Amino acid sequence: MDAGGDTVAPAPGDVEDLEATRFSREDAGDGGGVPKGPPDLRDGGLQETASQGKEQSPGVLPSLPQAEAPSGTCELWSPTAPASGTAGQAGDPSDEDWRSQRKHVFVLSEAGKPIYSRYGSVEALSATMGVMTALVSFVHSAGDAIRAIYAEDHKLVFLQQGPLLLVAVSRTPQSAAQLRGELLAVHAQIVSTLTRASVARIFAHKQNYDLRRLLAGSERTLDRLLDSVERDPGVLLLGAVRCVPLARPLREALGALLRRCTAPGLALSVLAVGGRLITAAQERTVLTECRLDPADLQLLLDWVGAPAFAAGEAWAPVCLPRFNPDGFFYAYVARLDAMPVCLLLLGTDREAFHAMAACRRMVENGMRTLGATHDLAAIAGLSNAPSASAPAYSVRAVGAPGLRHFLYKPLDIPDHHRQLPQFTSPELEAPYSREEEQYRLSDLYHCLHARLHSTSRPLRLIYHVAEKETLLAWVTSKFELYTCLSPLVTKAGAILVVTKLLRWVKKEEDRLFIRCPPKYSTPPAASVDQAPHNGVFTGL
Amino acid sequence: MKKPDVKIVLLGDMNVGKTSLLHRYMERRFQDTVSTVGGAFYLKQWRSYNISIWDTAGREQFHGLGSMYCRGAAAIILTYDVNHLQSLLELEDRFLGLTDTASTDCLFAIVGNKVDLSEDQEKDEVSSEQASSSCVSTKVPKQVKLEDAVALYKKILKYKMLDEKDVPAAEKMCFETSAKTGYNVDHLFETLFDMVVPVILRQRAEGPPQTVDISDYKQPKQAKSGCCA
Repeated sequence: MDAGGDTVAPAPGDVEDLEATRFSREDAGDGGGVPKGPPDLRDGGLQETASQGKEQSPGVLPSLPQAEAPSGTCELWSPTAPASGTAGQAGDPSDEDWRSQRKHVFVLSEAGKPIYSRYGSVEALSATMGVMTALVSFVHSAGDAIRAIYAEDHKLVFLQQGPLLLVAVSRTPQSAAQLRGELLAVHAQIVSTLTRASVARIFAHKQNYDLRRLLAGSERTLDRLLDSVERDPGVLLLGAVRCVPLARPLREALGALLRRCTAPGLALSVLAVGGRLITAAQERTVLTECRLDPADLQLLLDWVGAPAFAAGEAWAPVCLPRFNPDGFFYAYVARLDAMPVCLLLLGTDREAFHAMAACRRMVENGMRTLGATHDLAAIAGLSNAPSASAPAYSVRAVGAPGLRHFLYKPLDIPDHHRQLPQFTSPELEAPYSREEEQYRLSDLYHCLHARLHSTSRPLRLIYHVAEKETLLAWVTSKFELYTCLSPLVTKAGAILVVTKLLRWVKKEEDRLFIRCPPKYSTPPAASVDQAPHNGVFTGL
Repeated sequence: MKKPDVKIVLLGDMNVGKTSLLHRYMERRFQDTVSTVGGAFYLKQWRSYNISIWDTAGREQFHGLGSMYCRGAAAIILTYDVNHLQSLLELEDRFLGLTDTASTDCLFAIVGNKVDLSEDQEKDEVSSEQASSSCVSTKVPKQVKLEDAVALYKKILKYKMLDEKDVPAAEKMCFETSAKTGYNVDHLFETLFDMVVPVILRQRAEGPPQTVDISDYKQPKQAKSGCCA
């Protein structure tokens, strides 16, 4: 293992240097390429890591990561090295485009095998991922766990989940906690397709298994998830789902309809349009035993919005990581009457496809009797962009000049409805129609959120004058609110706008939110012992 | 809602073009599809019969559902990519076992898709020459020959312990298609539909279909409730 020791040995000091090299290339005066001393010198260094680990002999390293081609690491990361002749290839760490991305997210196995990278090809990144494994293993060998590295304007956040290691490398102003939340969402997405149990089983059985074989095709879902965080931050930031604005009587009628249409083993029925919730009905046994986590519901909403469900009636296993990370539900997904309105029926019986299909026809017939088809088509067709057929409203509806955008999450929902945290926000309109502007707004919201919820010094109210807009964030026992106002607004003017907004939300709350989520009055034929554990998907 | 008379299942490794084939046949066009999740169910009216078609996900992740799709199937379309030998081998290794739950007189078709990507498709010879002269041709020699598919077909018969005399000839059941150009796609589906029609008639004559023996007795009841609703 001496040879291995030689190649990896420089890691404790040198990886840090390379780290700095990589991140501070633009700031030439920073002494980028010059080897620095201990890692925790200026940039905050390793947080909560045992720095005495440096004193340990490098001999402990070789046994740790099975980093693929560890010797190549240094060359690839050194800016002067000619990076194996294929410089500029997408995903090559020396590629300028790749390096300039705002936020990278990587998933790798404990053995250092790449599983997912947001940008570039995972093949080209195996050396980079080897370094990540080395960092984690090194700190781990000192009996500690690496959580984050702060380097210049970059944050590196590490999250270990079972045999999977998730890493975010970000230069967005998001806090480490927010990035960690994002990594958890990525992990939940992986678990939802494979279950935690089977991931653990696979790696227990074969440590160097290439998980990409099983996740093939799911990368796009992860991409979409990460993109949505940067452009439309409400969902993950507030831990809530977004509802389609709908007149209360219609929503209640639809809820009652879902409640009526049951099938054996049906646990949850959801009506959604473009990733937003119309209404959902939960079977009572599920409800009383465990409240459906909004993260799980959001996962389902994202999932059914995938283009894979655009045609036909689909039947697929899906796991709800918060509810039970080790078992599968079986999901029936279909568009209703060729509308973008999507019906999701979640059951525990693997063979129940035809029962669910029958249930869908009941829902369709019921909707026709209600005359809801027309209204729903109108909602679904509100925004004509076919890509994001997301029904929404304009901020102008509030009638508060100067208000550009807001996120509002009510916290005064009666306790027995707490299982469905919701939020509302208008469409992003000019000046936030371009991607960069959306990123900027999202970053600002993230900053405000991080300060409101700071663990050391939480705040209740922030008035923040930024370069191109003024923001006001406010959290009370009744709501959590983020507003974006025009840059010229005065403090008094801002208060006026917010008061107007709150009044508007109060007036519209029956339309904006599901005030009383429907439940099944009687549990369907399936008994409790037909719990989702029975649905554990053993096909792997 | 119409009650399906017969079931056809598309099986094959991921990325061989199952969804594209079906899409080409049903919608008459080719479009980039995304990786299928689980399985998708389609109903096709053929003459006076309703034929249900299951488009399955080729990803290993959804392998556990395969036997459910195949239960009682009257025909199974095993799809491979003519440019990837592995996809043909996978059919034998991974997918043949799933067909155990199919109807005993299940028909098998073996389909090599994506012939538009390989250069020895006769009718394209001229155009591919042009392509190679103008730029670097992306076309490669076909990796899997029709004979390989025929050999697999015979192997399947052996596996199913069927006599070659009782089933359609291998030459009739091995197809090469292109979902992109539409080459042979209609021929594939329509040949198969014509072949399953006698199966429907036989099943009707025999009363409750044989598939009930294999699947649980609830199935016809569920189907009925669907039709009344």
